[in-house]
Amino acid sequence: MATPAEFDEMMKSGDLIESRNEMTPDYLKELKHTLIVSGDTELISAPAYYLAAKRAPSINAFMTGIAIIQDELAHAHIAYHILEELGEDQEKLIFSRDPKSFRYPYAFDVPLESWTELVVANGMYDQAGFCLLGDIHEKCSYGPWKRGLNKVMAEENFHLRNGRTWMKRISLAGGSAKDDLQRAVDWMFPLSVEWFGLPDSLKMHSAQLEYRLKGLTNDQLRQWWLSLVVPYCEQIGIKVPSHKETRDGKDVWELDYPFPCEFDAEEKRWDFKQPISWDDVLERWRNRGPRNAEMVAMFQEEFHKFRNAHHQNGS
Amino acid sequence: MPINLVDLGIIYSIAENDGLVEVDLTFTAMGCPAADFILDDVRERLLREDGVREVRITIVWNPPWTVARVSEAGRDALESWGLAV
Repeated sequence: MATPAEFDEMMKSGDLIESRNEMTPDYLKELKHTLIVSGDTELISAPAYYLAAKRAPSINAFMTGIAIIQDELAHAHIAYHILEELGEDQEKLIFSRDPKSFRYPYAFDVPLESWTELVVANGMYDQAGFCLLGDIHEKCSYGPWKRGLNKVMAEENFHLRNGRTWMKRISLAGGSAKDDLQRAVDWMFPLSVEWFGLPDSLKMHSAQLEYRLKGLTNDQLRQWWLSLVVPYCEQIGIKVPSHKETRDGKDVWELDYPFPCEFDAEEKRWDFKQPISWDDVLERWRNRGPRNAEMVAMFQEEFHKFRNAHHQNGS
Repeated sequence: MPINLVDLGIIYSIAENDGLVEVDLTFTAMGCPAADFILDDVRERLLREDGVREVRITIVWNPPWTVARVSEAGRDALESWGLAV
């Protein structure tokens, strides 16, 4: 491992880190943590999307949904593969961890139950992933991950396209289809806003920024996401609780509800009259949501069943 | 993708008659996940042309598409993007 002085020099120079020899133990720890969040998020999106893609309205739509799921699994594999190179056991990470210890955004724990909800996820959750990974792709100091993200970014564009194309199509259809779309946006928009984590005012220090594992703060990423999602929704005639203000010649996206506030995951309903603290949010995240155990079981149970059968056959 | 549909070689024929455009096209695979997007894009782009009032697209599988149908410009574009053709 590098001495603190060698490592500081590397960080200052803007060079990429290519191996463990060039890291400090603390950098390695932060890098692994960031990769686990990324891998877990990509992995869990597969069962979350699959359970909704089954309700696709046509074969073509279903194939698009399945292609997106395949992409997400490949993206997860990139992150876990890098973790393996850094000394972690990929099989254990995926198949032997307790469901509650997975580190993906809470939003995925709330069931996606229709094609409409799936395409809103593609338009909003994948947009959040696009902002987070786009920032890492541009700024990340760890070379192997930065390069691995080339493929990921191109594919995330495809997912966004699916989300946006279908959201527009459903909105144009009007009637009850558009009502369903608006209802999905109503509960999924604030979950996506929450995705970017604590506001900068509460998060004083970020090792991820210091180590150039990312380049933008939580609030900067949230603003970037809002600047992409709010105008698009307005353009297709869908209401979102946010508006633009101009301050000192700069566009700032303001939320029209207390942030954070109370969410009923079973009812998929926000109570904008009920502000809560970030401690409350962190507790909700830690407890995980309705679909956590079911989704993790979807890939863990099959793996253990297969392995047991394999061993019984004596091979 | 950095390549257009003509250079990709999936447009087999296109004809216009009195504002009606008829297109024969194929996909690079029967399970193409972008099929819907491509059909939407072709229709939307053609309808933007002056005088075009209707677009009819026929999906054909014969002759099947192979990489031999990608133009020279298309190959360069795909290679610059990291895809071996």
